Amino acid sequence: MDSLPPYAIFLIGALFIPAIGGRLRRVALLLIPLLSGANVINLEQGDDWQLLFLDYELIPVRVDELSLLFGYLFHLAALIAVIFSLHVRDTTQHVAGLVYAGSALGAVFAGDFITLFIFWELMAVSSAFLILSRRTDRATAAGLRYLLIQVLSGVMLLAGAVMRVQETGTLAFEFIGIGSSGGLLIFLAFGIKCAFPLAHNWLTDAYPEATPTGAVFLSAFTTKVAVYALARGFPGTEALIYIGAVMTCFPIFYAVIENDLRRVLAYSMINQIGFMVCGIGIGTALAVNGAVAHAFNDVLFKGLLMMSMGAVLHMTGRINGSELGGLYKSMPMTAGLCIVGAASISAFPLFSGFVSKSMIMVAVLQEGHPGVWLALLFASAGVFHHAGIKIPFFAFFAHDAGLRTSEPPNNMLLAMWIAGALCVFIGIYPWMLYELLPFEVVYTPYDATHVIAQLQLLFFSALAFTWLKLTNLYPPELRSVNLDAEWIYRKVLPDAVRGISRASVPLASALSDGVRGQMLVLGQTMYRHFGPQSTLVRTWLSARMVLWVAGLLGFYLFFYYS
Amino acid sequence: MIGAHLPALQVVVPLIAAPVCVLLRRPRLAWGLATLINWICFGVATALLARVLTEGSISYPLGGWAAPWGIEYRVDVVNAFVLVIVAGVSALVVLFARASVEKEIPAERIYLFYTLWLLCVTGLLGMAVTGDAFNLFVFLEISSLSSYALISLGPERRALTAAYRYLVMGTIGATFILIGIGLLYMMTGTLNMMDLARHLPAVAGTRTVIVAFGFLTVGISLKIALFPLHSWLPNAYTYAPSAVSALLAATATKVGVYMLLRFFFTIVGPYFSFEVMAEGGLLIAIALLATVFGSVVAIFQDNIKSMLAYSSIAQIGYMVLGISLVSVTGLTAGIVHLFNHALIKAGLFMAVGCLAFRLRAVTLQEIAGIGRYMPWTMAAFVVGGLSLIGVPLTVGFISKWYLVLGALERSWWPVAGIILFTSLLAVVYIWRVVEAAYFRTAPNRGHPTRFQEAPWSMLVPTWVVILANVYFGISPSFPIDIAQRAAQALLSPLP
Amino acid sequence: MNQPPQHFFDKPENTTKVLWIFHVLCVGLLVIDVFYHRHTMHAWEDLWGFYAFYGFVACVMLVLVAKQLRKLVMVGERYYSDG
Repeated sequence: MDSLPPYAIFLIGALFIPAIGGRLRRVALLLIPLLSGANVINLEQGDDWQLLFLDYELIPVRVDELSLLFGYLFHLAALIAVIFSLHVRDTTQHVAGLVYAGSALGAVFAGDFITLFIFWELMAVSSAFLILSRRTDRATAAGLRYLLIQVLSGVMLLAGAVMRVQETGTLAFEFIGIGSSGGLLIFLAFGIKCAFPLAHNWLTDAYPEATPTGAVFLSAFTTKVAVYALARGFPGTEALIYIGAVMTCFPIFYAVIENDLRRVLAYSMINQIGFMVCGIGIGTALAVNGAVAHAFNDVLFKGLLMMSMGAVLHMTGRINGSELGGLYKSMPMTAGLCIVGAASISAFPLFSGFVSKSMIMVAVLQEGHPGVWLALLFASAGVFHHAGIKIPFFAFFAHDAGLRTSEPPNNMLLAMWIAGALCVFIGIYPWMLYELLPFEVVYTPYDATHVIAQLQLLFFSALAFTWLKLTNLYPPELRSVNLDAEWIYRKVLPDAVRGISRASVPLASALSDGVRGQMLVLGQTMYRHFGPQSTLVRTWLSARMVLWVAGLLGFYLFFYYS
Repeated sequence: MIGAHLPALQVVVPLIAAPVCVLLRRPRLAWGLATLINWICFGVATALLARVLTEGSISYPLGGWAAPWGIEYRVDVVNAFVLVIVAGVSALVVLFARASVEKEIPAERIYLFYTLWLLCVTGLLGMAVTGDAFNLFVFLEISSLSSYALISLGPERRALTAAYRYLVMGTIGATFILIGIGLLYMMTGTLNMMDLARHLPAVAGTRTVIVAFGFLTVGISLKIALFPLHSWLPNAYTYAPSAVSALLAATATKVGVYMLLRFFFTIVGPYFSFEVMAEGGLLIAIALLATVFGSVVAIFQDNIKSMLAYSSIAQIGYMVLGISLVSVTGLTAGIVHLFNHALIKAGLFMAVGCLAFRLRAVTLQEIAGIGRYMPWTMAAFVVGGLSLIGVPLTVGFISKWYLVLGALERSWWPVAGIILFTSLLAVVYIWRVVEAAYFRTAPNRGHPTRFQEAPWSMLVPTWVVILANVYFGISPSFPIDIAQRAAQALLSPLP
Repeated sequence: MNQPPQHFFDKPENTTKVLWIFHVLCVGLLVIDVFYHRHTMHAWEDLWGFYAFYGFVACVMLVLVAKQLRKLVMVGERYYSDG
């Protein structure tokens, strides 16, 4: 094999970025995805790498249709995100972005669990820096919560892999299935990264706290790697159909009442992943094709929407729907491109979402899941409602918030133009994308039935919005926090721990006559037991140590005799 | 023919060099001699390992007196491996020591420092190389006494009390071991390990042997700081000179674990020690407690050296855990972790030594924002920390992998779970350092020029060890092969 | 001070015009359903204006339920940070 591993250029490039500055750095940043792209285009199926590690055969690079498709996609996404962030002067963010993109590539080309795990965790760590780089207390806290959950997912993946080695004797990453306990653990590890319901909150917690440019990187890679991993390991797993259906439906309620427009996008991201998960669960050629194609399109239109909101945040410093409005006057081009993204995510005919989402819908109906189909249809109407209308409406139209700014820097506009053009191109000419799909495509998106049905659905959804808005039934944008699953680990658990430690203090002081301070916080309680001054840790008197020795000797002797 | 006398040279060379070092008196000369001798030792150890690997065990009767009457030096895969670990780490750390010691120890005492260093290495190598139980005790005392003195040379006054505590506990431990050996001698009339192994089965069930075994277990547990007999270790490592912390953390406990292997497997025999005595279940419980306790306490330390010291207590737990699984996989994990942990802790303590070279104290408050001033040092610490956590591509991963496999082979899921859980705890305590060094802003440093990278004479050895962490993490076949052979040798019945 | 430039939606009559066009298109799409027979895979799809009504009802439901959801989940902005 005469080409480099697909991730090599990104990772090596990331090493050199800190060393160069100014104009040269920008050139290098652009060259990295381009060179790497040229390298990946040269890869051919079966160009696998193998090596022996411990007693197992590892496949650090496995090239087949599925991994190549995601390989191309990630290069596209990385190029767009790099262009979008070209004006940023923060080295940490550039390096983190490149390492993140490189490790996402590594993960989709990984042919074994060890390689997958390495890149899985590298993604977690590098992407966390895109959140931490916001350098606010909120972002730092959110970033650390994010990191913790991502690392947990990795540990579960590794544990599942070890169990699989026990079960099957191989580390190869092929079809897994949830039949075994190892498989189930891996399924859950993927599920965390894929934002399964109840495990989804890291996404809506952390992504909106990322830097304007960091969120663009984030929206492209982590969840798509998870979708890839599910498509590889669990196609046709029935549970996924229902998990996916729930994922499409519940976030849209939150999206309607959420004020932070980037958080609205985060919820809508879960909704879109739900469609993909559902398609993977159906598992037929059409459904998996649809899921994978939708992942491809989602990266582009969600990236475009995220970029337009990033541009708004960059230029105005605000992102809450309640504080924005009327920006079409000063940012008409951004507004237009945002609408292209909105049309694509809503699956308007001639835009990219249409050609992939309909494949999943048809497959769901073909396989006899009318209930799920209704749910997905509801979600399709809902996504238009919150992502298609709400985002552009509250940011660029609605009532004029009086913000006067200008279009974002040229590099941001260029990145949005590229993404917008691709959304339209794929919408008009989907066959190029279809060529890349893992199974042969015998599907025609553009016939009168599909187009009319979709237009009816979308137009009447929009009608509902205008009606609700004109009759003032539509809920106003309010500054607030909406409780979600994170409530359990951000409120209930800490409160419970505080409660217990509060309750235990009087108890403890009642039991011992020694004076004890009020230990109210978990940290202090732990510190008391394990900190430098605690009983177990405080420097012991020699006499006490000797007592332990004697005690242990007695214990051993007793133990041996019995 | 030098080749035939390698086992003796391993000990004799540093032993003779020690008094020479006293005569030299000049700091640089003493250092030069210590470095030379350490590298010779490393060469000898490597040569011994190479010979053992190709030709099998070497038996060397000291002074020509044949065993079991004379003292026999006996080198097989297990101790040849330990010799290489001890000599190799010592050879690298002594390079690192020059600048560090000149900073931390008054010039007029430096020659004593290197003399003690050589004696300590002599003791550690002697414990590993000898095939005679009493001789082992003698070398144990040499290494212990010299390490008490080395620790007491630490820059803070608290080093003295730490050394004193270690002295009390270490002496008790050594005495227990001596009592154990004495009782065994009483029952068998021999001190040669192989001979002991042959004679013990006949008297295995007797009360005396059981008591001997109890004394040995407690004595060795003390020397390796196995929970709950760990309390001498944190202060000793924290207040010792930086180079001494690195040397002792990487080698002293390893030789202690080797002692455990020798007594439990070669002399008493795995069947007797783990099944008749039900030792396995007890040791596993203690080992797991050690891993959890050490990791949790490490999280709450503000001094980085004591954080690493508590982490060592946890890591010793891993080694003992692997050993007490009594399977080829488990023993392989335990033995390979001897090697891997030596690399990890030597690297980390050396990186901390680099920090100590520039800072007043290595606490989390002091290192705030230091990543900017000492990028190479902190990068080394991060890589070492990843290895400690057990991230793939580092040696730490290899150890944990075999440990988990060993636990799963026995279907001990909770054990595997605890291993993973304690790895997460390691993430937490390493992260605290990373967070302080990179994400906190440096307090007003006064003279910014003071805060610069450590000298290259310290950085280069540190990075050699750190890169070894990565190298043996990517191609682990060398230590794994040896550990597997050692594990098989220890588990197979005597010829 | 010169007059700020007038934008499209600053004139209310433009908004009305856009809404008019939009409503006409909606009616048009419903009318098409009378003449054009969509080839369908499920009986529900054959209902007249199925997609149109489903879309409308779905969105109204969505918003009304979401409004109720607010009563359940909405808390102050500093809910977590006040701890």
